[in-house]
Amino acid sequence: MGNAKLQYRRGGGSILSNSEQESVPDQLRVTDLKVTYGDFVAVERASFSVRAGECVAIIGPNGNGKSSIALAIAGLVSRSGKVEVDGVLAPARNPAWMAARGLSLVPERRQLFAGLPVVDNILLGCYSWTKNLRKARASDAFSEAVDLFPELQPRLKQLAGTLSGGQQQMVALARGLAARPKILVIDEPCLGLAEIVARRMYEAFKHLNESGRTIILIEENPLRALAITKRALRVERGILDERVDGRLAEHLAEAASLEVNPS
Amino acid sequence: MTTFGDLFLAGLSTGAIYAVFALCFTMLFRTSAVLNLAVGDFAMLGAMGVDFLYRVESWPLAVAIIFDLAMIGLFAFVYDLAVLRTALEGSRAREAILVLFFFTFSLSLFIEGLAQHMFGTNVVSAPPLWNGPSLQFWGLDLQRPAVLLIGLAILTGGGFAAYLRFSLNGKAMAACGDNALGARICGIRQPSFRRGMFVAMAILAGVFGIVESPMTGYVFNSGGSLSLLGLISAAFAGFVKPVRAVAAGLLIGIAEAMLGGYVSSQYQDTLLFTVLVAAILIRPQILGNLNPAN
Repeated sequence: MGNAKLQYRRGGGSILSNSEQESVPDQLRVTDLKVTYGDFVAVERASFSVRAGECVAIIGPNGNGKSSIALAIAGLVSRSGKVEVDGVLAPARNPAWMAARGLSLVPERRQLFAGLPVVDNILLGCYSWTKNLRKARASDAFSEAVDLFPELQPRLKQLAGTLSGGQQQMVALARGLAARPKILVIDEPCLGLAEIVARRMYEAFKHLNESGRTIILIEENPLRALAITKRALRVERGILDERVDGRLAEHLAEAASLEVNPS
Repeated sequence: MTTFGDLFLAGLSTGAIYAVFALCFTMLFRTSAVLNLAVGDFAMLGAMGVDFLYRVESWPLAVAIIFDLAMIGLFAFVYDLAVLRTALEGSRAREAILVLFFFTFSLSLFIEGLAQHMFGTNVVSAPPLWNGPSLQFWGLDLQRPAVLLIGLAILTGGGFAAYLRFSLNGKAMAACGDNALGARICGIRQPSFRRGMFVAMAILAGVFGIVESPMTGYVFNSGGSLSLLGLISAAFAGFVKPVRAVAAGLLIGIAEAMLGGYVSSQYQDTLLFTVLVAAILIRPQILGNLNPAN
């Protein structure tokens, strides 16, 4: 697989070549997803699929349904429609099932265990595949998660709630990674973070995608997201649209004119 | 010295009572942010139920204890399934703590009514599990049930602390109380932990009632005051650490005995609560993270 054939260079979206990608089955398929909160329709009949190893951005303004899609896929809110992981139909509102099938959510606002040490937060990421503490500690998944951000090493015993926002986001991603995810759904990872930390996070996403993880990246800032993927689904007023219209094309062109490395 | 020693041992015995209830509050709150105000009533059910089955119905003691505890566990399980689950699923986190406060208080009143109907209004106790004269320590007397009680408090407190620290399930349990949404994201089934802990704490309170009742005796409405003292001790432990809950219970018991012995036995409760309130005013962070938003 020569570099020239790689679709993923800067803003690639997949580590696979076009021909390889066509043969890759869908890892996640969402059909007619609808999310409502009371009378309010947050997401209306969204359908899309994501192939193994792909990186897909879900972009759009705040409050238009992006996070609701993430929460519904992860089984955290009620929904109608179908969600399939590796061809298996997912039960609605069953986050434990989703986590066990390898879909790991790194949620908006992190949702860490503020009163527990960093190391426990990361170890609890392993809970979806083991209930054995010794096995979790000795696992490659835990090691990889802890090693992902070396700056966390001296803070493993510190309470997660006492970390800075950027460090908390690193813990959230490490916890998601400890779950041995096949699919990482990352929701607004740079909310409120300094630009330098946001770049650090994006380097990590790129690395994780290159190592074969499927990534669904929910991001308000399209330029940031399009720096590591070319495939973007736009959500506006609960409607999901994959067509490359004028505005998205502008974003793509602008992203393409930036440096190869988002840092 | 003997007076001090006697007061210390008496305080330790009383403190063990608070310690076990503080432990029950702490463990359940840590799992699910639920404050179970009926925990003292489960202790009463343990004591009065065993007395009824053993003394009135003439069942063998071991069978009476096992049956009584099984019924307490079943009752707690059904209550969680029928009431707490519905209350929690229908409320936002901040509202839920108030709603559950109401529901567990109602449960306390319900159990009191049930106990009055089933066991009457007399003071009764389960038979002592460890018979014999008082034990002597450096010339001081300590009743055998008190030794069992202190042992139970220390063992269960230490056991739960070890569970939280050295097992992934224990950490998952702590995670549920810390951030329920975060726990669900990690694939932790928080309702199962809450239900398990609600049942386990009801059974532990029942065991405690059986062990403790030979010292004080129980009547149908004994549970309320026990729950209150356990709640206060748990508050002083910050509702977080089981060992701190046990220590806080023991210390409050000792303080109560000392105040009664050296200051005024008539006003010992008043003095105790004055000291506790003063401690909170001086150092409010003692109360820990009762706010679920923390």
